[in-house]
Amino acid sequence: MSKSANNDIMVAISVPPFWHCGRTIRGNSIYTLIALAPAMLAAFAIWGIPAIRVVALSVFTAMACEFLCQKAMGQKPSQSDGTAAVLGVLFAFLLPAAAPWWLVVIGVGCAMCLGRMAFGGYGTNPVSAVLVGWALIFVSFPTYMDATSTILLTDLCDPLLRLKQFGPAAVADMSYADLLLGLQLGGLGAAQVGLLCLGGLFIILRGVIRWEVPLCFLLGVAVTAACFQFADSARYAGPLFHLCSGTTVLAAFFLATEDSCSPHRRLPMCLYGLTGGALVVIIRIFGIYTDGAPFAVMLINLLAPMFGLVVTRPFGWKKGDK
Amino acid sequence: MQRFIQELTKGLWREIPPFRVMLGLCPVLAVTKNAENGLGMGIAVLFVLVLSNAIISAVRNFIPKKVRIACFITISATLVVAVELLMQAYVYPLYLQLGIFVPLIVVNCIILGRAEAFASKNPVHLAIADGIGMGLGFTMSLTFLGAIRELLGAGTLFGKFIMWEGFEPFTIMVEAPGAFICLGLILALMNFMTHWQIKRRNESTPFVLLHASQMPSCGGACPGCSSGQNKG
Repeated sequence: MSKSANNDIMVAISVPPFWHCGRTIRGNSIYTLIALAPAMLAAFAIWGIPAIRVVALSVFTAMACEFLCQKAMGQKPSQSDGTAAVLGVLFAFLLPAAAPWWLVVIGVGCAMCLGRMAFGGYGTNPVSAVLVGWALIFVSFPTYMDATSTILLTDLCDPLLRLKQFGPAAVADMSYADLLLGLQLGGLGAAQVGLLCLGGLFIILRGVIRWEVPLCFLLGVAVTAACFQFADSARYAGPLFHLCSGTTVLAAFFLATEDSCSPHRRLPMCLYGLTGGALVVIIRIFGIYTDGAPFAVMLINLLAPMFGLVVTRPFGWKKGDK
Repeated sequence: MQRFIQELTKGLWREIPPFRVMLGLCPVLAVTKNAENGLGMGIAVLFVLVLSNAIISAVRNFIPKKVRIACFITISATLVVAVELLMQAYVYPLYLQLGIFVPLIVVNCIILGRAEAFASKNPVHLAIADGIGMGLGFTMSLTFLGAIRELLGAGTLFGKFIMWEGFEPFTIMVEAPGAFICLGLILALMNFMTHWQIKRRNESTPFVLLHASQMPSCGGACPGCSSGQNKG
């Protein structure tokens, strides 16, 4: 970028006609919200008023924080493009339905202010803002973030916690249909695995996200889990269980694909997804936390610029050329 | 006398060591779990810094230029051992809390930096003023950072619980990430205040016309920050 004598930035201006493909941030946000809607409704149906309260508070706080930050930073308020709403919904999806109000407010506030606005706003954050907020409150208030210890009046159980405590034999009798239908304890929306898959397919078809990242992410989970199970099936659960439990699907379709934190060519995207998927299973098996998916996504977010350095062979390239 | 005051006060705000000059960040991040540790570490550094500045300034004409770094380290190491023994004698619990970071004062950037940049070129009284100012600035910064982290992370200040009933400690603040988050926010605040001061001093001058050295951050060229967007 060149600069004139008085240091103003010179911007290259091209001549008309201009052609706009019609894609906007607002459109992407609306499609993402539509994709998240079935899972949200299912969560409301299962958890009732508390879930509605968490989602509403989360979305409102995200928008309010964004507005305040933009006012303070002298930017134009951009709540109407919906990115704050998407952040709020995704954040609420990671919380248990019984999360107290201050937990939601602190978490979303950190996600929006520290995770996104501190870097300059939408599209500038190097790590998924949702997960920054999630990690801060997850490390600080582990008991409030644990669905098993906050939601007592339920027959459901957290499959990952059971796996961690009692080994794969204890989860062998859990039906995959139940897991897919969201009959498991966990984040209120993250547990709606089947509906999130549908939503993910919808935004892939609408072109909001590319198919490489989620597919390779899920593939990475499956392959790594299969390797572990092949090594010792008495100690490690199978690939299907890892795919259907916890936040794997939410991470694959909605968290790992955030525009500013993922690479943007086919090979880097595939490597990015595969690494993330492998890390999910590795953190679940060797880490102290039950679910590794959010941590895995944060790690690959940080690695994304490195994946971007992977160069594919340019057109017309011959061996020996520089 | 005016010079003396100037050297004394520059370390308190204008060149405050960790937040402005960004020196000695290792203890800043590592020992500020609570205000007491920060204060203790700050006083230890203050002690070493004043004495090492005084001694180095006194012998500055006898030290051969080629081996000056080794001489500076010998002098500061002597003083640090003295501090270590004093702490073991009088404040043993604090000494255990600070652990490795007391001996590490030897290679603290502030000590060497002030020795090289200031004490080896200036007379003794100015070197002492510089040491006191920088040391006090360092102590203040560490205590401030420690107080914030302790208040949010444990609800206490110097060991006394002062938050409201039912306060849930924001535990990450006393962990390592909390140090980075706090430091980043404080640096942002410092930069913001500097921008604001410059703006107030010459109101007619738009931001981007300032010389780059006056802009503490990126120079206002990137679209992220408000100075980049407000131009023109």
